[in-house]
Parts: sequence; C-alpha cells; structure tokens
Amino acid sequence: MKRYILNRLFQFIPLLIGMTFISFLIIQLSPGDYFTQLKMNPEISPETIEKMRKVFGLDKNIVVQYFYWLKNVFTFNLGVSFSYHVPVSYLIKIRLKNTISLSIFSIFLTWIISIPLGIYGAIKNKRWEEKILSFIAYIGISIPSFFLAMLFIFFISKTAILPLGGTTSIFYKGATPFERFIDYLKHLLVPGLILTLSGIGSLYRLMKNNFLEAINSPYIFTAYAKGIPTWKIYFKHALRNAINPMITIFGYELSGILSGAGLVEIITGWPGMGRLVLEGVLSFDLYLVMASLLIGGILLILGNLFADILLALVDPRVRFK
Amino acid sequence: MGKILEIKNVVVGNEEIKILRDISFEVEEREIISIVGESGCGKSITLRTIIKLLPQNLNILSGKIFFEGLEITKLKEKEMQNIRGKKIGMIFQEPSSFLNPLFTIGNQIEEGINEKVEKDKKKERVIKILEEMGLSYNVYYQYPHQLSGGMQQRAMIAMALINNPVLLLADEPTTALDVTTAFGIISLLKNLILIHNLSIIFVTHDISLAKYLSDRIFVMYAGIIVEKGPSIEVYNSPLHPYTQKLINCLPEKYNKGEKIKTIEGEVPSFKNLPLGCPFSPRCEIKNKICEKRIPPEIKIGNRIVRCFKYGNFMES
Repeated sequence: MKRYILNRLFQFIPLLIGMTFISFLIIQLSPGDYFTQLKMNPEISPETIEKMRKVFGLDKNIVVQYFYWLKNVFTFNLGVSFSYHVPVSYLIKIRLKNTISLSIFSIFLTWIISIPLGIYGAIKNKRWEEKILSFIAYIGISIPSFFLAMLFIFFISKTAILPLGGTTSIFYKGATPFERFIDYLKHLLVPGLILTLSGIGSLYRLMKNNFLEAINSPYIFTAYAKGIPTWKIYFKHALRNAINPMITIFGYELSGILSGAGLVEIITGWPGMGRLVLEGVLSFDLYLVMASLLIGGILLILGNLFADILLALVDPRVRFK
Repeated sequence: MGKILEIKNVVVGNEEIKILRDISFEVEEREIISIVGESGCGKSITLRTIIKLLPQNLNILSGKIFFEGLEITKLKEKEMQNIRGKKIGMIFQEPSSFLNPLFTIGNQIEEGINEKVEKDKKKERVIKILEEMGLSYNVYYQYPHQLSGGMQQRAMIAMALINNPVLLLADEPTTALDVTTAFGIISLLKNLILIHNLSIIFVTHDISLAKYLSDRIFVMYAGIIVEKGPSIEVYNSPLHPYTQKLINCLPEKYNKGEKIKTIEGEVPSFKNLPLGCPFSPRCEIKNKICEKRIPPEIKIGNRIVRCFKYGNFMES
C-alpha cells in the first residue's frame, strides 16, 4: 500500500509538467496577448509595450518561456499578474479561502442529502414516493445552474431574506468573531444552496441506481435465505456495495473544488477563484491562468489518488491485487 | 422416519402466468430428493417457494406448505426469517456471485448464527464447520475472490449449515464447477446427511447425477411434476414419455459417432402454455385428450406419473 502511494506520487510530477506544458502552449499559441489590447491605446507608445514585454519575458521563444515559468514554480514563485500588478500567489490566497469554503459547503450538503434520498428511492422503487423523487431529480438535472442562480437572485432580491454579493456585510468591522462567522455563512448560503440544488439530482440518480443494482444482486438473495432481517441486508450488504462506485465520483468531485463553482460565483457575485480565473482568461493574464490550471491539476491528481486509496480501503478486491 | 416437508397442491404465479401448477410432494427425514428437468421448468422457483422468497411479481396462489408440521404458507415475513437459515439452508449455482464480495467468509457465515453467543464462541463454531467442509481455518479471514469455485461452494455450504438446519435446498450447486470439484461437493453432501440430521432437495438438470446422489427423483416439466419415484426405478424404467426422452439424451447411452436423439422442440414458455398436458406438443404418443386436459397423478407401484398413457383415459 505504501509503495503504491509513493509510486503514484512519483507519477505526479511528470504528469503535472506535461499538463502545464500543453496548457502553456495552447494559451501562448492563440493570437494576441495582454499587451495587444494596450496597443489600441494611443497614449502608450509601441516602445513602452515592447519594454514591458521584455520585462515579463514574453519576447522569448515559447518553450523557453515555459521553462522560465517552470523554474519559478519550483521556487514557489507563480509570477505576477498583468492586470492586477501583484503576485499571482497573493491574488489566489485571498480568493482561495472563499472558493474552498463554498465548494466544501455545497459538496457536503449535496452528498448528505442525495445519498439517503438515493437509498430511499431505491427501496421504494416504482412506487409513488420514488416516482415523485425521480421527477424532481429530472427537473433538477434539466435546469442549468446559472439559470437556477438567476431564479434564486430574483427570489432573494424580492424577499431580502439573505444578503447577496460579496462575503461580508457593512457592519463586519465592528462585529465579534462569532457574528462575523454567522455573517460569512449567510453570504455563503445563496451560492452554496444553488450549487447544492443543481448537484443533488444527478447524485441522487447515481446512488439510486447503484443501490438498486446492489439489492437485486445474487448475494442479497443469499442474505435473505440466511434469514437476516431486511434492514441489515440493506445497510450492511447492499449499502457497502452501492457506495463503492460513488467513491470514484467523490474523487472527481474533489478536483472540481476550485473550478466547479465558477459560473455560480460570477452570477452571485461571490469573490472566488472561478471569477478571478475567468476574468484572467478573458484578459490574457497568462500567469494567473497558469497558476489556476496548476492548482486544478494538482487537485485532480490528488482527488483521484484519494479516491483510489479510499476504494482500496473498502474493497478487498482492489486491496489484494 | 417422519415427514419434514409436505407440499400440497401449490400453485405459484400471478394473474397472467402460472409458473408452478399443482405441485405436491413430501420430503422425509434424511432423504435426498432430486428435482430434474430442463432449464425454465420451474425447478428453482420450487425451491424459492419453500422458503417463500419468490420474485416480486410471483405469489403462492393456492395450496399449502407444511414444514415440520407447521403451515408456513400462513407465516409472516418476520416469522419466516426465523426459519430461513435456521431450519432451512440454501446453496446456489454460482457461489462467486452469491457471496458478498466485500465481506470475509468468516463474517458472512457468522452473521447467520441465530443464538446470541459471544464473538469468540461464534468464531470457534465457524472455524469448526469450515474444517468440517474440508477448508482450512484461514478461509475465515479470506474474501470470496481469494477462493476457488469449489472452495467458495464449500463455504456456501458451511454458511447454509451453520445453524444445523434440517433441510438443505441446493439449487444446481455443481453446475458451475468442473467434474472433479463437483464430485467433491457431491460426496461432501452425501456425508453431511449422515452426520447432520439433514434432508436435501437437490435441483439439477443432470439425471444421472440425480440417480447417483438421491433417494427419489422428481421430474419437472413446465411447472408440473410429471414423474415421481425412487431414483433407480425412474432412471432404469422411466414411465413418462418426457423422462424416457430425457434419459435417451444422455451421452453414456450412445457409442462413439452415434447421433444422440435430442428432444424435438423446446420447453413452452410460461406465457404460452398448451391447454392440456404441457408435454403434448413434443410428445410422440399423444392422444386427443392430451391436448385438452392436464393428466392427473396416477399411482403405479412406488411411482406417481402424470400421463394419460397409464390408467383408462384413452377412451374418454
């Protein structure tokens, strides 16, 4: 097991280098850069732009540029943002907290709601309870998250039961830590609930199908033939088998912690990474985009590794290979 | 010897189809019974009826089942849980899919133990029965995928017998195994009825295996038991045309290069059963009456056969 994890961690570095290299090429090969827009401005002379290009190293060969960037990454220097004129790491640091709290909040809520619902739906399969649940889930899957966000904003702005936009209220500075926490949570609730609602539908369906498959398996018949009570059959034999495929999905979900909420962040005005990165992409803010891709890549690989380890822990067939 | 199981005129099905029609038989103490027939004859459903674990769309429509004198057709699900696994054990065709892949063999056998005893005692008991099945105590800690097919089947048997039941239902337990492994399982089963006070209902499509293993053979066709009787008699002088043809299909009856006479046609589907004797479309000696009525049980010596050929039905 230890060797397996170490092995996987060693694959980590070449994978990340390959991934970032390709992303770098794609960004840099697309026509134009941050300074192309500045050229339109008659007040900035072409000489100044050329000088700035040199300062940022953009005059060199793309491959050389990439290795400069890579060298800096290994010394924990992610470069400077073109548009904000501050180190990228500083920008990310303030936004990262918001995105992570939003993602963890919504992932936690989504899972804690859809797993029991999925089990319930499978047990009540083909009865009216399941039909209603599945119908609602269908609606949930069909509505895009940005549209749901707009509906939410419309509703909230009419009723004003929750604050909209940003992470803090005006009274934030004079508040006690507990009040600050509650205030933060209130701001989190709108984007958090939107993300949760748009995620429940598909996760419910997955869990329901997994559980259904499990309770129709031959080993469940064996358990019945042994005279084990039904609740034990469901929660020991069926649940363990139904939850296994969900672990892989959970791993992927972890990789989406930073990027998964982008659209909702932008619409609800939540100052997270998604918004930052999207703005960065639109303005050719190379190093900002690269940093977010790097972090996303690391999370993807870590999430998968985490899921694989978890799967090995719960499934003896994986463990004893 | 007393009867431990008695089935009287059981009909299983739903509004549209009848899977079992008028099934009656009884099982004596320490008796091995084989139910023989082609696939899709209702053999497995017969076993599932006995422990009342039918597929959701099927029900026992009429008839009675007595187990140790108790009418189990009337029992509720909760009461059935005290009979399943405790008084009646069951083993299956493919142990690899009928064992839960995520739990150790020890865990899966142990959870069936009925009495409330300490964990150590339970473990002791499981290891004892595993050893009785010819498995090492290591198997207790192993997962199903780490065992061979034969070992898995032995573990299944251990699981079915952990509470010392009086009846074992075996649903083609050797079909998925190779010949030598299968033989090991068969001799194990034969030994078990001597040691434990056990009766076995053995479902198979192999009539020569049935003759070797069992005291009596029931031949099933399309949900009806067409012939019942002592194994040797049924095998050596089959009465029902279906049994005769079934035995005529056995390869050991032929020399090299000879063409095996298979039974023409196929088992009728339950949705489209013939009105009279279900075998009549494939029967060479059928009469007019065969297509109109289902033959009643006719007793000939030790045997019971359902065919109009016997008795004085041909004229009417």
